[in-house]
Amino acid sequence: MTEQPKKPSQLEDVLPLSPLQQGLFFHALYGDDRDVYTAQLVCALDGPLDAGALRAAAGTLLARHANLRAGFRQRKEGTPVQVVHRRVRTPWEEVDLTGLPEADRAAEADAIAARERATPFDMAKPPLMRFVLVRTGEDRHRLILTNHHILLDGWSTPILQTELFTLYLTKGDDTGMPRVTPYKNYLAWVAKQDRTAAEDAWRRALDGVDEPTLVAPDAGAPGGEAAPGRVRVALPEDLTAALNTRARAEGVTLNTVLQLAWGVVLSRLTGGTDVVFGAAVSGRPPELPGVEQMIGLFINTLPVRVAVRPADTVAEALRRLQGEQADLLAHHHLGLADIQRLHGAGTLFDTMTVLENYPFDPDAAGTDLGGLAISALDGYDATHYPLALAAVPGRRLSLRLDHRRDVFDDAAAGRIMGRLRRALETIAHRPATPLGRIDVLDAAERTRVLRAWQGPVTGRAGTAPATITGRFAARVAAAPDAVAVRAGDTTLTYRELDERANRLAHRLAGLGVGPETRVATLLDRSADVVVATLAIVKAGGVYAPIHHSYPADRIAWAIEEVGAPVLLVDAVTAPLVADVRATARTIVLDGTEDGDGPAHAPDVEVQPDRLAYVLFTSGSTGLPKGVMVRHRDVVDLADDAAMTNGAHDRVLMHSPHAFDASTYEIWTPLLHGGTVVVAPKGRLDAATLEKVIVEEDVQGLFITTTLFNLVAEERPEAFAHLREVLTGGEAGSVAAMRKVLAACPDTEVGNVYGPTECTTYTTVAGMRGPLEAGETLPVLGSPIDDMQVYLLDEALQPVPPGVTGEAYIAGAGMGRGYLDRPVLTSERFVANPFGAPGERMYRTGDLLRWRDDGTLEYVDRADFQVKVRGFRIELGEIESAIAAHPSVANVAVLAREDEPGLKRLVAYVLPVAGREVPDLRRFAGERLPEYMVPAAVVVLDTFPIGPTGKLDRRALPAPDYGEALAGRAPATPEEETLCALFAEVLGVERVGADVSFFDYGGDSITALKLVTRARQAGLELTPKDLFTRQTVEALLAADGQPDLGFEVLLPIRESGTRPPLFFVHPAGGLAWNYFQFQRYLGPDQPIYGLQARAFTRDELPGSIEEMAADYLELIRGVRPHGPYRLAGWSLGGLVAYEIAVRLQEAGEQVDLLAMIDSYHGLDLDSERRQILPELLLGIGVDATMLDPAGNPDLDQIMGVLAERGDALATLDENDLVNVYRNYENGVRQSEEYRPRPFRGDVVFFTALQGRDAGSPTAHGTWSGLVDGTIEDHPLDVEHHHLMEPGPASEMGAVLAARLDELTTDRR
Amino acid sequence: MANPFEDPDGRYLVLVNDEGQHSLWPSFAEVPAGWTVAKTEDTRQACVDHIEANWTDLRPKSLIEAMGG
Repeated sequence: MTEQPKKPSQLEDVLPLSPLQQGLFFHALYGDDRDVYTAQLVCALDGPLDAGALRAAAGTLLARHANLRAGFRQRKEGTPVQVVHRRVRTPWEEVDLTGLPEADRAAEADAIAARERATPFDMAKPPLMRFVLVRTGEDRHRLILTNHHILLDGWSTPILQTELFTLYLTKGDDTGMPRVTPYKNYLAWVAKQDRTAAEDAWRRALDGVDEPTLVAPDAGAPGGEAAPGRVRVALPEDLTAALNTRARAEGVTLNTVLQLAWGVVLSRLTGGTDVVFGAAVSGRPPELPGVEQMIGLFINTLPVRVAVRPADTVAEALRRLQGEQADLLAHHHLGLADIQRLHGAGTLFDTMTVLENYPFDPDAAGTDLGGLAISALDGYDATHYPLALAAVPGRRLSLRLDHRRDVFDDAAAGRIMGRLRRALETIAHRPATPLGRIDVLDAAERTRVLRAWQGPVTGRAGTAPATITGRFAARVAAAPDAVAVRAGDTTLTYRELDERANRLAHRLAGLGVGPETRVATLLDRSADVVVATLAIVKAGGVYAPIHHSYPADRIAWAIEEVGAPVLLVDAVTAPLVADVRATARTIVLDGTEDGDGPAHAPDVEVQPDRLAYVLFTSGSTGLPKGVMVRHRDVVDLADDAAMTNGAHDRVLMHSPHAFDASTYEIWTPLLHGGTVVVAPKGRLDAATLEKVIVEEDVQGLFITTTLFNLVAEERPEAFAHLREVLTGGEAGSVAAMRKVLAACPDTEVGNVYGPTECTTYTTVAGMRGPLEAGETLPVLGSPIDDMQVYLLDEALQPVPPGVTGEAYIAGAGMGRGYLDRPVLTSERFVANPFGAPGERMYRTGDLLRWRDDGTLEYVDRADFQVKVRGFRIELGEIESAIAAHPSVANVAVLAREDEPGLKRLVAYVLPVAGREVPDLRRFAGERLPEYMVPAAVVVLDTFPIGPTGKLDRRALPAPDYGEALAGRAPATPEEETLCALFAEVLGVERVGADVSFFDYGGDSITALKLVTRARQAGLELTPKDLFTRQTVEALLAADGQPDLGFEVLLPIRESGTRPPLFFVHPAGGLAWNYFQFQRYLGPDQPIYGLQARAFTRDELPGSIEEMAADYLELIRGVRPHGPYRLAGWSLGGLVAYEIAVRLQEAGEQVDLLAMIDSYHGLDLDSERRQILPELLLGIGVDATMLDPAGNPDLDQIMGVLAERGDALATLDENDLVNVYRNYENGVRQSEEYRPRPFRGDVVFFTALQGRDAGSPTAHGTWSGLVDGTIEDHPLDVEHHHLMEPGPASEMGAVLAARLDELTTDRR
Repeated sequence: MANPFEDPDGRYLVLVNDEGQHSLWPSFAEVPAGWTVAKTEDTRQACVDHIEANWTDLRPKSLIEAMGG
């Protein structure tokens, strides 16, 4: 009991807030949308009205209920309190609209109601409630009651309404009315509850909820005044009765039935099986006497979690849900904010349900109001949930779905209501149905997603030979002299190709190749690939290409895996398999000798279901798996309407044979009498690409997303001659596509999607139309001919449009399965419930979404498969490889995108107790192809564990890609500008003023972008400035300083504690290309370049020995004694070797010698060879740019260089002449150089492209001179392109690993 | 998004079609037309073991016949 104050005070009581009031109070104080918490009740009063009596009734209402007289404020220390005033003024307003024309009165009354809603309440000034009586006519009124939600809830409204009109009859006299149970009794009850027990119960209830259930994850804040949309349905009486019967039969409440139905609908809407939504509960504790008749805020919104397990039956699910909810009944008093805080994941849901089983039926009150009829016109309780379902029980259960119109339009909300109804029908009538079989789509929706939106049905099966061999033979017979293959100077007609393939096929048959025999191939790009591929299928065999980036062990494994008796290689790839031990017989194809067999086709019968090829894709079990594709599948792809529109008759072949794009590149043209145009060897840059397209009249080609984006950036017009460029492999860039479409008005960009298992392409979407129509995403379009894409949820039910589902592909082109992997095949190629009896569908693991227009959109991957740089990678395969190390106890691998657009693999490792973790990247590099080696390894003590006890991948820390990169903040406006530009082009958040551009991952392309952006911003900057000065600080400080960049000893990074690494220039004389190694070698590794003296003096050195002696002096100046670390590209490798030998002879230690494609003593025929073309080629310029006399046309060359925008572009004419002189000199010197023996190991990098049978090898050249190991790292690139970002990163990784090892060894 | 074929604690069937092709199949889902149950409801491992032991030739039956066995 509170002590009575001596003097009558205005204050009657000061009370705490209930948990729910607290939540609302803080929202009202800090929320920006007060309107959400304003409730309104509008009643139409028809008949004679005594306005004074109604006003008196309102006054008595406020007098009876102390909690309606409360104001809300904070104590000084912050605790909120409700201050109950002894007396409050009745906020009463009367408005007479009868002066207005009758037609305008309703609208004006609505406007008054809206104004009332929009007028905020002052929380401190009670009452938080207002009455407006609007007179709209003779004996016609509207009563508008507006209140803050903190006073009372929806349950209280009918009680309040009844009380108000009861008091109206007595003109405000409440003497006969029952005593009010004060709200403070409820507050006292709340205070007695066991909060800890409640918290525990909620924590348990939500344990393992990994993510919120959101139907509109991208929805913004609720939009101001817009009233929610509303869909109403009254269920038929028989269905209502059946639902009640079902509830009784299972011993559950109607509320549980509704909640399960809503859970199922949500599960279908979100694609998840563990869903959460909010449910409004009355919050009135039954043990509190009189609670039913109280007016106040009790209602609570609580999370309801429904496990929609596909295997549970309806009956089981109902009983379990009822049990779970019953356990929580005693804990309904905890506020939602507190519950969400306990769980820790923030907002848990964005939909809610309420069963409006008010304690009494207001219509049944049946009080005589003296001829006054009351009807509720409108309740306004702004919903801020995208979807809110209300159910009102009765003979016909009535359902109301309020929806935010900015999220769901009326039609969409109507469809959701339809799904809810179908779910309720199943629950009512079929209790034994597993939840997974509840079909919520209506017939029209089903037809749309399963039939209408699928690929056209052609009925082509059986109309033409469905084998590659049959189709090719028909083309040879039809047009034997048509050109089948173009490759540089080589042209093969269909007859010639046929005869060559036949000869080779006979030879293969002689080696035991027959039906279904696999033949392994490891072939560089050439016409021979086409001959060999065709020959293998002609012999009845199956080609099984191996990717040349596989390490030797993996090559041997692959040959054994396919059980190939024969391995086909060529001059370029033969060295790769020199050391491979395999049982297969190795045949080297040299382009002329296909065998002396007959020119006619071998007599081999081939069925359409026979295999054409086996391609390896990454496998989660640690080893790749072989995808088996049939003749039929290849023919179906080639025959598809998307491939036979004339755009793919002359196709460029440039993808690795081991990639599924080769199916398109070889067979689409060849099975239709078209031409395969083999791209020149070596890395294809945009200029080369454009040249071959134009010169060879190429009409169609496929290019990976990464490469497409690069070309779009550099030279979008390169595709202009094509009819269609297909691109895919990763999520495409709309910006890049627009750029290409704009630059190539006659070219279509086809966005393609499809797994290897379904023969290369499943969808092809022409992007010109959609992008011109304002499309903002790279849509996938529709499935191609006779193919189906089913998007299914976890219950294998088709998802409706807009909902993410996992893609299952069926129909044409679905291969046979995985070679010798029955279990894997049975898990992935599964029974198809939607196709012809007995058909299979392929489970892709890709998450896709239907749009309302029936086109597909890519969302994500469902599993741990990722694409990095266009390669499909199973993280499990990398994890298995790393876990094989004895020091590793546990490992998890992630593809992180810590910088936008740069996806990197990171391995997290728990070491075996007490063991040091060695260089795992190197270890992985010996077992995995280069593109699967993690970019970083993070050693942890423990793995973060999520609530379900599983590894919480999201909680794994970002690796320290370089803590030292933070640098100092910009100090001047100029620095600020330039730092911002750096950050923009590098795609990083911020850039330190004193950190090198190249440490952040800058390369020649980003450098060019930076220069362009800087010029736009008014800063004059050349790429050379950037290469030589590197940091914002240095660039801005450099004004007026003498030109840098040509000094013989070029400091690339002077800081760091490790022994420096010296890089010697290649024949051109400049060491600028080595700048990019900074980012790979870490901030602690000093780096110096050595450059030719040709730039600073006229006479050239006479020999490599002379250069070595010169540079050695400079090296000694930086580092007087060993250990020394040396590297060099091409000629630079020879100079580095010579320096190393000299150091050893002087008693010094050389612990790293790296040679990048360096060979000595070649007969280069220097007298006669044209040095200039080679020089130009060496810097990527077309040799035909020469003037007719063959002289260096410097103007023209400078123009081309300037366009290229790389390091060399900044050379002036004199510099270029010096490069040329130096190059000429260097080539001669490398011929004359006679190296002496070196003691120790050599790290070697071999450029694989552009080699021929006579090309020197690392071992051939150096093994007689080097007494240690020659560790050869092959790179899929030409000699001249070794310093491009891709190969440089690979070399950087190898060197970094080696340098780390040296540092560790020393400790 | 969990996949119904990857639930280690789930219950599964093994289905076979006329071509002798096998499919793992979650037992909650209806058996699609054209497939018969080769192994009744069991653990995932038991079903996988059944497939490993019984599906030894991944070629469809009609092809095996066409190729003369």
